[in-house]
Amino acid sequence: MQDATGTAGARVSPDVDSLVRAAQRGDQVAFEQLVRAYDQSVLRLAMNLLRSPEDARDVYQEAFLRVYRNLHAFRFDCSFHTWLYRIVTNICLDQLRKRKVRKEESAVVETAEGAIDRTEAFEEESAAANPERATWNRQLGQRIDNALEDLTPRERMVFELRHYQGLRLRNIGEVLGTSEEAAKNCLFRATQKMRHLLGDLV
Amino acid sequence: MTCDAVRKLIPLYYYGELTPEEEDQAEAHIHECGACAREMESARALAAALDRRTMEPAASLLADCRADLAAAIRGGAAKPARQPWRLWLDAAGATLAGLNRWRQPLGAMALIAVGFFAARLVPAGSGVSTASFGPSEGVFVNVRSAQQDGAGRVRIAYDETRRREVSGRIDNPDIQKMLVAAAHEEDDPGVRVESVDLLKGRAASDEVRDALMNALLHDSNPGVRLKALEGLKPLAAEPPVRGALSQALQFDDNDAVRMQVVDVLTMRRDDAMVGMLQNLVQREDNSYVRLKCEKALKEMNASIGTF
Repeated sequence: MQDATGTAGARVSPDVDSLVRAAQRGDQVAFEQLVRAYDQSVLRLAMNLLRSPEDARDVYQEAFLRVYRNLHAFRFDCSFHTWLYRIVTNICLDQLRKRKVRKEESAVVETAEGAIDRTEAFEEESAAANPERATWNRQLGQRIDNALEDLTPRERMVFELRHYQGLRLRNIGEVLGTSEEAAKNCLFRATQKMRHLLGDLV
Repeated sequence: MTCDAVRKLIPLYYYGELTPEEEDQAEAHIHECGACAREMESARALAAALDRRTMEPAASLLADCRADLAAAIRGGAAKPARQPWRLWLDAAGATLAGLNRWRQPLGAMALIAVGFFAARLVPAGSGVSTASFGPSEGVFVNVRSAQQDGAGRVRIAYDETRRREVSGRIDNPDIQKMLVAAAHEEDDPGVRVESVDLLKGRAASDEVRDALMNALLHDSNPGVRLKALEGLKPLAAEPPVRGALSQALQFDDNDAVRMQVVDVLTMRRDDAMVGMLQNLVQREDNSYVRLKCEKALKEMNASIGTF
């Protein structure tokens, strides 16, 4: 089966290929196998981009329902992975753009005592033994989150796909419907911005 | 190669995205140039810091996502069909489909399946008299009896349900009533999620608020419960809503729901919650929920345990 990182690019693995064809004929088991081959990486991508379990869950549901509805129209002119990631990245980019407009940070919830980060609550317990380290971790985490928020949705996406998901730039270009060169420039801009915002940390 | 040119290549070098020639040139330069070598090191250090910010979705979240998807698909495509995708699309897209009465004996999915079955029973051009039987687009039938008479003819009695569409603005009371009914009655969790999602901005109305509270406490699908919770957030100060939230926090079996509920409930200080929070600190499995409860208790100067 083709690996879920998409490094196989446009090569269509026979296993995925036959699962897709079976699912196109209405084979529910094949569809489920297809989902399970890719859903962890889809959820991880959504979670890391949107930093919110509930938003990631929405993306998961919407992405795989779109796959389910439109699989009959998939013509194997790219790999299934690329096609799936096009759907997922489009949904995530929409979310990121909406957030940019609303200046929202879904991982941060406003409470009576100010904003708290959901993700930090998970770290609190293990870090409780070393409060200084916990504070530093929290500050670093917040700085990184802020820096990522400063990227444009497209830069954020390219950076996420390359740095965290390990996709090749050629494949990223294909997923985002752009050239490898444009993806390369986008990654360069993203790393420059991160460097500028976080340079003092390293 | 100049330092400027190499520094532009460093991020791509780090990610292994340079051509072999570019890579050779960059490596040769970095080997000779201390400033660019330090630049490379700091790019690595930054990447390492960024690596620590990776979030791995909880296994329970993945399981919930899979369950939601399976439920939506099971409801929509259980029957074999000529065009399973189209069939499902129709069902999933038609929030109000089949709701020609507010209380519907059969879910939209079942109606579509029956409709399709009927269409198979009476293939086009089969010579069957269809003076009163022509399951045209959007009409679903449920066969009640089938008997053969002495002349060799078959007599079939059936109920007919016609799919209709209504449209209106979300503030239209009739639309709201239909959505409330769909949120309560629909067999398909996808339709319930959509209905609750549409209603959630209208919680100021008592009827909608009650429907959202009912969905939060009784809907079997966690996706529906989460949507209902979103709608109830602005009303978290109202005693009946707080009661429903407390119930959900104590008894909902889904971690994601409890995590959301505890956020909403502890947003405001409420001394009446002390006992419930103390109880949860003792028995709650989810560390996020437990920590939030402890935090709220500390802020109220209440002891963490009942001891």
